[in-house]
Amino acid sequence: MEDYKFLFKIVLVGNAGVGKTCLVRRFTQGLFPPGQGATIGVDFMIKKVEVEGEKIKLQIWDTAGQERFRSSTQSYYRSAHALILVYDISCQPTFDCLPDWLREIQEYANSKVLKILVGNKTDRDDREIPTQIGEEFAKQHDMYFLETSAKEAENVERLFYEIAAELIGQARSKDGSSSAAAAAAQRQSEGSSIGLGSFSAKAAQSNCCGGLASGGSNSSQGG
Amino acid sequence: MRFQQLLHVRRLASAGATTLMRRPITTTTITTTRRTALAATYPAFATTVRTMAGSGAPIPELTEITDNVQRGNYATLTDKDVAHFEQLLGKNFVLTEDLEGYNICFLKRIRGNSKLVLKPGSTEEVAAIMKYCNERRLAVVPQGGNTGLVGGSVPICDEIVLSLARLNKVLSVDEVTGIAVVEAGCILENFDQRAREVGLTVPLDLGAKASCHIGGNVSTNAGGVRVVRYGNLHGSVLGVEAVLATGQVLDLMSNFKKDNTGYHMKHLFIGSEGTLGVVTKLSMLCPHSSRAVNVAFIGLNSFDDVLKTFVSAKRNLGEILSSCELIDERALNTALEQFKFLNSPISGFPFYMLIETSGSNGDHDEEKINQFIGDGMERGEIQDGTVTGDPGKVQEIWKIREMVPLGLIEKSFCFKYDISLPLRDFYNIVDVMRERCGPLATVVCGYGHLGDSNLHLNVSCEQFNDEIYKRVEPFVYEYTSKLKGSISAEHGIGFLKKDYLHYSKDPVAIGYMREMKKLLDPNSILNPYKVLN
Repeated sequence: MEDYKFLFKIVLVGNAGVGKTCLVRRFTQGLFPPGQGATIGVDFMIKKVEVEGEKIKLQIWDTAGQERFRSSTQSYYRSAHALILVYDISCQPTFDCLPDWLREIQEYANSKVLKILVGNKTDRDDREIPTQIGEEFAKQHDMYFLETSAKEAENVERLFYEIAAELIGQARSKDGSSSAAAAAAQRQSEGSSIGLGSFSAKAAQSNCCGGLASGGSNSSQGG
Repeated sequence: MRFQQLLHVRRLASAGATTLMRRPITTTTITTTRRTALAATYPAFATTVRTMAGSGAPIPELTEITDNVQRGNYATLTDKDVAHFEQLLGKNFVLTEDLEGYNICFLKRIRGNSKLVLKPGSTEEVAAIMKYCNERRLAVVPQGGNTGLVGGSVPICDEIVLSLARLNKVLSVDEVTGIAVVEAGCILENFDQRAREVGLTVPLDLGAKASCHIGGNVSTNAGGVRVVRYGNLHGSVLGVEAVLATGQVLDLMSNFKKDNTGYHMKHLFIGSEGTLGVVTKLSMLCPHSSRAVNVAFIGLNSFDDVLKTFVSAKRNLGEILSSCELIDERALNTALEQFKFLNSPISGFPFYMLIETSGSNGDHDEEKINQFIGDGMERGEIQDGTVTGDPGKVQEIWKIREMVPLGLIEKSFCFKYDISLPLRDFYNIVDVMRERCGPLATVVCGYGHLGDSNLHLNVSCEQFNDEIYKRVEPFVYEYTSKLKGSISAEHGIGFLKKDYLHYSKDPVAIGYMREMKKLLDPNSILNPYKVLN
């Protein structure tokens, strides 16, 4: 940790086959593994990135989709800073399950956890869930929203860098101000509109994200 | 002497080239519970066939000839002897034909020339056999599942094979005390199943589980993947019954953990490889089986990180840690290359660890192991990996570890060493050996039971040759000896390593071992040519 100012834990959840592992492998290794089998358990990995001039470590936990609704405590949720809930835009059932996942998140995760809804597989031409529907669902549930394609590497880096930037912002606001709690509370109460708005706005500014992306590829991952 | 060793190892080349999985005959290195999962996907795993000459693999030359063994001063078997045994045991249990499965060792390195296999059905029959053989000066080799790796369980010349296979009953399992009494010829897995029926487990788990005998396990003080949790058999075995070479029955059975009465003689029969007596029965303390099992497979960037992760596992998972295994990059990659059905969840790291926890509360255990992983990642020691508590997936991960030794002998000749080394120096020998062998070796790798400081060092080459052999031995033993390590951590000495015993035991100790052997087996008829030279 000596060189790294922040370490954030990000957990990916969602139905089996929505592309969680592909998103992670695309981000950490820059590849799209063809014919990816089901994730054995919960995969964990470290990715070092640089965001806003800060060296940070992302600790990413990629859960096996079919292990959902287990009776155990899902202890990997508890200390998560961000939760990425993934569905497949070409597969309605994966979207229909989102409320179940949210219930699980509510039960096990920290209430202040950063939640991001991701509609993956935008490369597919058999879309079943329009962007707007995903966006509305995210807004209703106080989540950020982004559509991605792990296959085409679309919005994948942006996803993780935005999360990192947001978490740095949160951490700084806690560090820097004596009214950190108040700030956090305000963030919570203002809820989705500010959160979603800022994330979407950032997501729309491709220059900003491109800059971050190119500056942050000092990964030691994968050897 | 060197010539003998050369011949000896040379035959290993043919053994290496004929092993496992090339045919739909697999050896016994995969446990049944795990095999069930494998069999579902890969039909080749469905059958377990004991290593037998009938498997189609080339039969090695007689060891007596290749190794220039001087036969001991024993009597030669006569028809009269056979008739005596037939009268004693009944004709069905006196075998004189098709004995190759009893004469040839698991790795097909050793081939004895026994003409007689006896299958007694009781301690009394074992005693009667030994008494007769002692009077007649007939040499005897006790044999269990014949899964040993150092040639301890097969005849070297024409010793009579004393098979314990019929002494296969679990006599009692007490779920209150956790103490089980079992006959020596009971297959480990069957014993474990009986124990599990009442919520217990046998504190021993190893690859050969489906065919090795508990009596053989005790006689060789077998190790395996649970020693880090349950300790070795000197702790778990509460008592043994052994038949001495003279035919006397030595009753050292005890049903108590605590019994400080006189010398603890049972220990003489744990790990003495059948040279001091034939174990016929034993009592074992069985722990309760764990309701929750989690396994993590972890990638690390350096051996230093491996050690730190090991220490962290002991500190943070101590009470539930049940396995701590190391696999290096080359060992893993060789298995992945040989067995295309294997999938590693991670790749690209010089070291991998398999860490298993077994406990009574799944929620607690999962939380502990996740915390352990998270902390390791935070410190930068753990880079990448996967963790699961799903029984099927736990087996998937164990499968990787279990296929590692098989991958190395699938298509190559392989020098295999089983050594204990201080953890700080644990892995250096692999690098040192790789440098020594240079391009002569195709793979030099290490894996093994990190939690027990037990390294399996492997040197593979296309085929055996004198040049590489001279670079490997006796260097590996000298190196181990200098670090005060053990030249045989869990496999024993048997026939193959008896000339190297002095690297790990001093002359005074070896002198007393000889005295003990003389005292208990004055005519030296019991498992000759083994352990002591």
